[in-house]
Amino acid sequence: MARQQCAVIGIGQTKYYKKLDVSLDGLVRWAAQNALDDAGLEWDDVDAIVLGKAPDALEGVMMPELSLADGLGAIGKPIHRVHTAGSVGASTAISAALLVESGIYDTVLTVTYEKQSEGNATWALGGGRSGSQGAGGSFAPWIRNYITKTDAPEHIGWKVAVKDRLNALRNPNAHLQLHDISIEKVKESPMLWDPLRFLESCPSSDGAAALVLTNKAGVERSGRPAAWVIAHQKRTEFTMFPGRDTVMVKAGVDCAAALYKEAGITNPRKQIDCAEIYVPFSWYEPMWLEGHLITEEGDGWKMTDEGATEINGDFPVNMSGGVLSSNPIGASGMIRCLEAANQVRGTAGEYQVDGAKVAMGHAYGGAANYFAMWLVASEPSPSF
Amino acid sequence: MANAPSEEVAIVAYAQTPCYRAYPEAEPKMIMSLVNQILDEVKIDRHSIDFTMAASCDYLSGLPFAFVQNVDGYGAWPPVYESHVEMDGAWALFEGWVRLQMGDIDTCLVVGSGKSSPGTPREIFPLQMNPYYGAPLGIDPVSLAGLQAAALVDAGKATEEDFAQVVSRSRRDALDNPFAQVKKDVSVEDLLKEPYFAQPLREHDLPPITDGASAVLIARADKARELCDKPIWIKGIDHRMESNNPALRDLTDSVSSRIAAESLGIDGASFDLAELCVRYSPEEVVLRQSLGLSDDCTINKSGGPLCGHPVMATGLARVAEVARQIREGQGQRGLAHAASGAALQQNLLCVLEGGA
Amino acid sequence: MSLKTTTYTLEYPYTRTTGPVVGRFLTNLRDGKLIGVRTGGKVICPPVEWDPETNKTIEDPDYVEVGPGGTVKTATWISQPTRKHPFQEPFAFALIELDGCDTPLLHAVQASGPDAVKPGTRVKAQYREERTNAITDVYFVLEADATDQYIEPGPGEVEMTEHLISIDFEEIMAPQRLRFIEGLKQGKFIGGKSPVSGKVYIPSKGYDHIERVPMDESHEVEVQQTGTVCAYTIITPVQYYGQEETEPYIRCSILLDGSDQVLGQQDIRDIPVDEFRAGMRVKAIWKSEAERDTSEIDNRWGGTGACLERWEPIDEPDVPFEKFSEHVF
Repeated sequence: MARQQCAVIGIGQTKYYKKLDVSLDGLVRWAAQNALDDAGLEWDDVDAIVLGKAPDALEGVMMPELSLADGLGAIGKPIHRVHTAGSVGASTAISAALLVESGIYDTVLTVTYEKQSEGNATWALGGGRSGSQGAGGSFAPWIRNYITKTDAPEHIGWKVAVKDRLNALRNPNAHLQLHDISIEKVKESPMLWDPLRFLESCPSSDGAAALVLTNKAGVERSGRPAAWVIAHQKRTEFTMFPGRDTVMVKAGVDCAAALYKEAGITNPRKQIDCAEIYVPFSWYEPMWLEGHLITEEGDGWKMTDEGATEINGDFPVNMSGGVLSSNPIGASGMIRCLEAANQVRGTAGEYQVDGAKVAMGHAYGGAANYFAMWLVASEPSPSF
Repeated sequence: MANAPSEEVAIVAYAQTPCYRAYPEAEPKMIMSLVNQILDEVKIDRHSIDFTMAASCDYLSGLPFAFVQNVDGYGAWPPVYESHVEMDGAWALFEGWVRLQMGDIDTCLVVGSGKSSPGTPREIFPLQMNPYYGAPLGIDPVSLAGLQAAALVDAGKATEEDFAQVVSRSRRDALDNPFAQVKKDVSVEDLLKEPYFAQPLREHDLPPITDGASAVLIARADKARELCDKPIWIKGIDHRMESNNPALRDLTDSVSSRIAAESLGIDGASFDLAELCVRYSPEEVVLRQSLGLSDDCTINKSGGPLCGHPVMATGLARVAEVARQIREGQGQRGLAHAASGAALQQNLLCVLEGGA
Repeated sequence: MSLKTTTYTLEYPYTRTTGPVVGRFLTNLRDGKLIGVRTGGKVICPPVEWDPETNKTIEDPDYVEVGPGGTVKTATWISQPTRKHPFQEPFAFALIELDGCDTPLLHAVQASGPDAVKPGTRVKAQYREERTNAITDVYFVLEADATDQYIEPGPGEVEMTEHLISIDFEEIMAPQRLRFIEGLKQGKFIGGKSPVSGKVYIPSKGYDHIERVPMDESHEVEVQQTGTVCAYTIITPVQYYGQEETEPYIRCSILLDGSDQVLGQQDIRDIPVDEFRAGMRVKAIWKSEAERDTSEIDNRWGGTGACLERWEPIDEPDVPFEKFSEHVF
């Protein structure tokens, strides 16, 4: 059987914040109920549920699909849990899409979350030991290598940090609402993992994001704006091996190439209207612009520098504020996919890119060895 | 609601490690050996496999992101298309099978693995319970199995002798299973002499602590026929969940297994053989009754998880076992069952058939 | 030869915001009461945030006091409690039908033996002297054994509950890791050379994942004491539970001469930051044999434990970036 068409018809999010005064059930239900309401559906309309989140040790709850089953209306239904490190949110969105595209399930609810206020992300990322370098400590050396390789000026990272936080001011859900953000403030903020400063790094957030996905018949029944999933790809490579390029990561290059090929895209910079890219540390914006073939190798920082990725630029990136403004790790990848869907549905409110018809959602994880991406469009089969 | 699958998908190869009391090397090495075994048997290159699904659980070895190392085992250079569930391999099989239904790719490698030996499972598994109301009480699967057993006995649905019979039969059958960890000829009478552990269960009613891995390679129709002589067809997979609060469930019945069976449109009496995820002996009693398996159905010829329980691979190992038993002519139609969560909270059924 | 093991403890004091419903339940426990919530005509304890039939959020929860007495529905006597159980002597876990409640509560009953806790047994809630705003504040005893307690209500509403989760692990050291550790004790860097590609991995993982072949002691090689810094960052330590670092330090990866894989997690505290750079040449300076400590090395994490005194710059030209850019991680 040919692949069934699949679209997002419901989007739900919590507010993202340092600490949310809800139980774990309350957290996921907040996003899930919002998504169902947006889709105009009831809990009973859901055929299957896909849950995603990052390491269990972040909340000290093992295999949370078991303890969240009741709250997510999963009793009597299929529910499974995806985990692909930091990319999990996008992998989960893709897993949910598969359930619909396969024709096995008609309407799928997918939820991702993290409640980082319960534990400590740096502790968990270091395996619970002293001396954890955290995610930033792992990526900083590669960022330094990117800067060396491209001779990029030092202000590029600061520019990204300001852009994403200014965008976040248009997004009422975003965790960081830094009204006085500026290049000076970023430049003067404490150094955390040289060359990354505090204000160039993502926050640690509580939050949940949810999507309702359905097939063509479901879209017609709902009468809701649809973001059609026109392509999705994942790629993984080993974390460590001699000769590994941690700047132009092959898995990332392959993933993007496969994604564009699947959608029939030959010029991503022109044919994709905007992108939500997983940028937890400022320099990853230029790095991924190159690493995902949006611009030539060595030119990513120039694209950022000339303002192309601003919300009114020719390739807006992270209109929602991105991971730099909200980072509940397990949800962040789905938030990228969700915000891409918001754009092509015309439901992105104050951070809407006018006329956005094709948008990319992206996430990466682990030692930048996991990649998951999707493309959504306002039409089910756009041609390029 | 679940719709019928449109693509024919079959198991073309399977492999298991022995059930180790404690595997002395790194988990990826265990996985690598299985994957190599399958590649050698089917005579294909790693990179001709379209999709890979991995399954494991970080908490078993106490390391956040432990699963990332496992990538070393199943191979990811050049980069591969893969995903991972933090669940038993049977759920990875589910996602792989669903993916193949899209009709655009042909093969999927599924691997489930786990080392339970480093930790104390009874102290880790309570973290599967409600974090406010259950986990802080240290409510563990052994205690819940005891509760389930007590409920069965109180309801007149089982006796302690029934439990002992499951154990006796399983351990004797395991004598013929080179992968099994616990195997012996022990009578029901002798078993019943042992002291209680979680009354009315005794220590032998519980699974051993095991390290191990299992893998299967699945393929769509023509590809399956090309890759092996005897494809074992997956007629359907369905899985269902129950409440996390044991107080809200009927512990004497597997409601979710019934729902899965109904969704698949299967009649329990139609199976020649079954491999059930019996981690605690009362689970066999419950599943047999809930699934309506006939008295002629051979259950857990491998010995089942009571004889070797490589957590996160156990359910997938049941699928591999049914496939093997069908291929070796022990039956034409088999049922593989996987469970997750204490006292059969979540259940997965996979229907397998031989034939062209 | 005994198999050496490595031990570690995964421990964190999780702090969970409760939300209003769990919070109300725990507040009442603190004050010596059990409550349920009435929804869809039933009283459910512990209270839930949604109606189990409709899944809809209960907008204005109607809390009802239940118990303190109840009847055992099902029980199992636990002969060997774990360290995480509410009691360290044998006890029963039971489904308890609390008076006034429609759903049983799963909890622990302290009693003299299994015969004392059977279906139909009457039990009563008791509260611990030291309460911590958690489900463990309450437990059950036989009604006949219960004492009257006066619990002074506490101030305000409980909004947070803590759970110290601490799990111990003991794992067999992988053979190649053990050899690496033995090498460190002898002041050597022991790696493994792939029989297929000839590439040298340090420490060896017991396999070459690129060529998909196992490796063992027959592939052992020693690599040199000198190397090149390939990548580094300066870490400002984040203060979290269990963190022992307080001052910023350099963390780098070094490609030892003769190795194809970097030695990661090398902490540098005695080369000034403005003199440190990727490409610089360094040599290992070891601690005295008696001082070398490998206790922190396990099967997964990198590093050389506390065996090296420091890395010392050597007087050789820096290696150009292109030569090591692919040996960063």
